[in-house]
Amino acid sequence: MTKSGTNYDVSRRAFIGGTAAFAGLPLLGAAPQNGEAGTTCPPNAAWETVFGDATPAVLVRRLYLDLAGRIPTVEEAKAFVRSRNRKGLVDKLLASDSFADYWSMRFCDILRVKSEFPINLWPNAVYVYHRRIREFVKKDEPWTAFTRALLSATGSDFRDAEANFFRASALRTPEGLAEAATATFLGENYADLPEKTRAEYAKYFRRVRIKNTREWKEEIVYLDPSQDGPTPAAFADYLLGPARDKFARAFVQRVDWWMLGLEKPDPAHVAIFRKNGFRLKPLVRAIAMSRAYGRGSITGGFPCRRLDAEVLDDMICDLTNTKRDYQSIAPEPFTFLPKDRRSILIEDGSISNAFLLLFGRPARDTGLLSERHNEITAKQRLYLFNSGKLFRILGRITDDKAFRSRPMRAIVQDLYWRFLSRPALPAEVDMLVAHHSGLKGGARWRFPRDVAWSLMNTREFLYQH
Amino acid sequence: MSAKSVIELWLWGGPSQLETFDPKPDASPDYNNGLKAIDTVVPGMKVHEWWPNLAKCANLCSFIRTMTHPHFGHETATYLMQTGRNPGGGIVYPAIGAVMAMMRAKTYSGDLPPYVILTGAKGRFSEVGFLGDKYAPLVTGGNPNQPKFVVDGIVPPGGLTKEEIGTRFDLLSRMDTFGRPEAFTDFIAAGKEARRVIEGSAAATFDLSQETDAMRDRYGRTWIGQSLLAARRLVEYGVPYITVNMSGWDSHKRHFETMKQRTADTDKAVAALLSDLHERKLLDSTILWVSGEFGRTTKFDRNPPWNGGRNHYPRCFSALVAGGGFRGGCVVGESDDTASKVGKRPVTPVDFLGSIYELCGIDPDGQMPNNAGKKLTVLPPASTEGRLREIYA
Repeated sequence: MTKSGTNYDVSRRAFIGGTAAFAGLPLLGAAPQNGEAGTTCPPNAAWETVFGDATPAVLVRRLYLDLAGRIPTVEEAKAFVRSRNRKGLVDKLLASDSFADYWSMRFCDILRVKSEFPINLWPNAVYVYHRRIREFVKKDEPWTAFTRALLSATGSDFRDAEANFFRASALRTPEGLAEAATATFLGENYADLPEKTRAEYAKYFRRVRIKNTREWKEEIVYLDPSQDGPTPAAFADYLLGPARDKFARAFVQRVDWWMLGLEKPDPAHVAIFRKNGFRLKPLVRAIAMSRAYGRGSITGGFPCRRLDAEVLDDMICDLTNTKRDYQSIAPEPFTFLPKDRRSILIEDGSISNAFLLLFGRPARDTGLLSERHNEITAKQRLYLFNSGKLFRILGRITDDKAFRSRPMRAIVQDLYWRFLSRPALPAEVDMLVAHHSGLKGGARWRFPRDVAWSLMNTREFLYQH
Repeated sequence: MSAKSVIELWLWGGPSQLETFDPKPDASPDYNNGLKAIDTVVPGMKVHEWWPNLAKCANLCSFIRTMTHPHFGHETATYLMQTGRNPGGGIVYPAIGAVMAMMRAKTYSGDLPPYVILTGAKGRFSEVGFLGDKYAPLVTGGNPNQPKFVVDGIVPPGGLTKEEIGTRFDLLSRMDTFGRPEAFTDFIAAGKEARRVIEGSAAATFDLSQETDAMRDRYGRTWIGQSLLAARRLVEYGVPYITVNMSGWDSHKRHFETMKQRTADTDKAVAALLSDLHERKLLDSTILWVSGEFGRTTKFDRNPPWNGGRNHYPRCFSALVAGGGFRGGCVVGESDDTASKVGKRPVTPVDFLGSIYELCGIDPDGQMPNNAGKKLTVLPPASTEGRLREIYA
């Protein structure tokens, strides 16, 4: 961290709006009581209450996106809007496999899980390591224990999953490993540290060696027995001892960034993280239940963020019942993923597809948060506007006979629920029905698809808000 | 005058220097397999016998026979050849195409993105590095050698008319009411830019049916032929950087069979591009460079499983440059008797890329803007031998 307490790699560009209105809020103030969020009024009635809090429909979408890496189904969204049981939903999502899938993707970004260049984990080790990281999330292991495991591990990259931490570094020198470890556990840029500190940190990694075996692409991580001196496990002692504050802040910083777009970790969140044994889920639960997290994004200060490439890919595929074409550019052994594999579940940063490339899936080269730009570009909008493939697959929803057999009002409502997880406002329905009645021929027939196309191109669909 | 556009023909896998621009007819058959060199229109400048069309326009291009660097792996070598940097240091640099896209952002006013790749992305590393997705290439997909070259996203789907497209955008603008416009300036600007591509004439650039049959035949009815023809159309449109990413040069096995077929298509296409650019008076403002990430071992392996294969070799390999301020008809550097070692005038990737930047009017020693808060130059300092100034026009 820098002096101001910000992880050095945070890029403000990913978020829109937010922090000014946000900064004045007590971040952990009590959430509004169930039902209080009910009153809405124009012009932002679809998204915000008169108090500037998110409507239940916005909140359910937000929670699913952050805690499950997808939008809710129509049934899930409607159920929450009826029950408004925020605690129940947060607990359910935290316990779900989707939470482990999505958050292990985030931790694999941080830990640089990819098979080829500049991190050469190779395919077998990628799968072993990913499984272990997912287990850390799923079982909610303390970050302290997992850190110690990563820094104490030796053995085969195929069998001893944690040993891959040392292999997931572009430079396998003491300095290279120290750089990876300081970035991962302290949120610090090794190059910016004083020379004395750099030398001290590098000492911990001097004995780490990596050798080949006779098994293809198997490597053994071991400590050079001919040398004395400190080991990486002693670096773990340092992190969990004298550097404990910084270590906790670096972790909370990432969670605060992912969920709230905060540049600095909130001290109250750091306290919660420490009080709960350095575990992820209590921290996420506290944030998800907080007043700040329930604010609206129009006037309430909640920051907007373009959705992750993987999440957007999954959403469009889910909505249109479409499979994906993955390209494995990592050869030998070649990896073939089933076409129904969710994008958030791609273990290997070296496997991608055209959509993910276009929308900026992080390369996992450095493990920095800033690798995930979440920028919106003209090329992305061009694709969403004009792709023949997208236009074709939207037809899978709207060309269905049963779907089309209903009145236009019902069709519009259905599409709003599917794409935006909320009902269309009366003014929106009226506008679209009027528009439809003025159409003839092909345009009239195509109208439901054009509505779906428009919804997919709205900010409301493309952003976490 | 500086070059306006660059066409990069990237020969992924690493083509052999011996069967391209540094033939060694006098070496033993263990090296040249008994194959010959041929004369070109430039006295004393020879090329391998599989490049007869290029031989006829060698006056328009120059060969560099002493490219050299230390990396034997595809990824590391590609990274160095594309960025001018060695990997590491916790920072990933952008490839030359992305840098060019950024540097030209103020002067290029076309509707198509400033950096286009035909037809597949390089993929093995993040080309855009720390610059952000804004400068990432438009990857066309599709196949220019099909009857219809479909670039998904460029040509409107479903046969919609201009009017129908307009109506649909009108619908979208009435539905997309979320958020305050001032908070979404990037989103709105990106949308306007995308609409210009859809509603303007840019899409026609990819419509190769606008070329005569004779012109399409001249480039060759192959993927590489039609890709280079599309690249020429993109140059005419004004796109600053175009990469044609051609794979299939990693000839560990059955090298000579592979090379014979690859060079036949490529020779025809490159010669057509050079002469076509020259005839259209575009060559002076357009740089063409042709290279892979490295060359190949010079003594080939006749034994199974290789059956006449060549392996990766970065210590001495060849590249071609033309146009945009590079003189034609020159040979830079001299390798040893088997093209295994640099004899005279080594050329590093930094010197090579630096020359291209320099001819495009970009100072390779100048500052490169970045969001990492670092002071960075466009390239590391050139070697003592320096950039290719001996062949600047």
